Amino acid sequence: MGQAASGGLTQGDVDEVIAASKGVFNQAEIESLYKRFRALDRGHKGYISPEEFLSIPELSINPVAQRLVRCCECPNFTTFVKMVAPFSPRASREDKLVFMFTVYDVDGDGFISREDMSMMLKQLAGSSLSEEDRQDIISRVLAQAGGAERLDFPAFKSALSSADLGNMVVEIPVDL
Amino acid sequence: MGELVKGRLESSLPGLRGIVADDKDQEHALVTREGPTKGDAEIDQLYAEAEDKRLLKTSLLLDVLNISNVLTDGVSAMVDDSFNKCFTSTRPEPWNWNIYLFPIWVVGVVIRYLVLFPIRVTLLFIGFNALIVVFLLVDLTLMPSKRKMAMQRKLVQWMCSAWVAAWHGVIRYHGPKPTPGKNRIWVSNHTSMIDYVVLCSYSPFAVIMQLHYGWIAFLQKRILSSLGCLWFNRTEVNDRAVVAARMKDHVNKEDAIPLLIFPEGTCVNNEYTVMFKRGAFDIGATVCPVAIKYNKIFVDAFWNSRREAFGKHLFRLMTSWALVCDVYFLEPQSIQPEESPQEFAGRVQAMIAKYANLRIVPWDGYLKYYNLGEKNPGLIEKRRRVLADVLRAYLGKTSAAPSAMALAKEGKAAVELQSDGKGQKGTSSVASAADKKDR
Repeated sequence: MGQAASGGLTQGDVDEVIAASKGVFNQAEIESLYKRFRALDRGHKGYISPEEFLSIPELSINPVAQRLVRCCECPNFTTFVKMVAPFSPRASREDKLVFMFTVYDVDGDGFISREDMSMMLKQLAGSSLSEEDRQDIISRVLAQAGGAERLDFPAFKSALSSADLGNMVVEIPVDL
Repeated sequence: MGELVKGRLESSLPGLRGIVADDKDQEHALVTREGPTKGDAEIDQLYAEAEDKRLLKTSLLLDVLNISNVLTDGVSAMVDDSFNKCFTSTRPEPWNWNIYLFPIWVVGVVIRYLVLFPIRVTLLFIGFNALIVVFLLVDLTLMPSKRKMAMQRKLVQWMCSAWVAAWHGVIRYHGPKPTPGKNRIWVSNHTSMIDYVVLCSYSPFAVIMQLHYGWIAFLQKRILSSLGCLWFNRTEVNDRAVVAARMKDHVNKEDAIPLLIFPEGTCVNNEYTVMFKRGAFDIGATVCPVAIKYNKIFVDAFWNSRREAFGKHLFRLMTSWALVCDVYFLEPQSIQPEESPQEFAGRVQAMIAKYANLRIVPWDGYLKYYNLGEKNPGLIEKRRRVLADVLRAYLGKTSAAPSAMALAKEGKAAVELQSDGKGQKGTSSVASAADKKDR
């Protein structure tokens, strides 16, 4: 990232990041995200480590905190913005679904398999759900979502076709 | 009106979004104008209830696959969170950006760094060292007596005044000057270590402080100890009980020097205030609140210990024009009969926050030093259990939450059964047996 001597953004950086995130953010939001990135990145290493993410109290009490943090390994600023992009009010429903699918697909092979679902359910529902119940739920979900042994993105998308994702929006605080 | 209420509730359960407020929920706000209201177990319960309300429970498919809520919580926390806001220093607006103001600014810099700073450092050096010498002399030569203590107090007060002069402190004190009294303890909001100096230059205080390193430790141990200051280590769990006992000792002494406590436990940026710890409010003493508000017009007095060393912080103070500050000594408060120490702490915090114009945030300042999720896994488990109950309901099982004992037994039994190689039937009978027991 072309850092100026004072550690600020250049216009070229901003343009690059806006392009990478498909233009859902305007310049003010990028600047605000950059300030946030710099605040989280304690040693000014250029990326945020999982420990630094988990030092945010509100994030550390999130059930899927570990998965979220490992989803983008040590993000640099561009990756950080791309991660937040699906939550912009200007992001498309498709983008939001893609993001959810990526998080759910733990092993990253493009399909949500039984193992992926099992791992996610462990994070979502915890240990009070027994292994047998978990497998039972996974079987039912797979059956209801088209009957295949694992879900690809189109199947995931149609399974969530009736879901209202209007709440999936994060406001970027912008200093006026 | 609805918008306002919603906003307040969203921030009252940090990390959990999307709850629509109704009147009942307003009673449950974690932080009201009177301060924090709930204990840990109740907070866990609130999160569980809110989570339950948030789950749409429409179909198994959606409840399992639609993770938009927790993802939104998570990313929202990544983008902005109320805890870190307490420790950010606002960058001052640059005003020297045109051809007319810039030379004036340069002149100002020259005067501050090359004229004022050397003068201040020299005077401080001479004055402070002279006072230290006199102090040590008094310490070593005189026998312990009331007069000796009085002299030491005066000397410490002068030393602090020397420091305040070095920063060209313009400090206004409002309210009645503290006098020593039995069973009284003073509490204040905390912005930097200089809070103590600012207060002590007006009226002597003993203080309980984190023991630091280097030259500060020398000052702390040698000089401030004679005032009856107490040292502790925030990471030492046992220290807390010891410190509580010594606090009680101190306030019970006749004409004890006023004891000052910073219940936040850490330096905060003077715009917010974090949770007041109940230690000082639990010893049955009258609490005298002190509010300190720094005017950031010339310099930001917040010491961000994660970002700058104390020496650099002092340097910054000594190369600015002045340190402007208001100190309010407020009316002493006693614990009311139906109040718990935590509620009392919250009430006093609300008073101080009003005078010093601070926003109250329900986080424990020590979160700077540890990961909340690790320290308090119960909260996450409670939230997870809510979803687990909903999912189990789809399977036709009861949604009674198993007790911890039953869970442990179930877990152990499941492991045993699986290692024995017994079939699925064995596990489910244990599970339903555990459920039946709880009903």
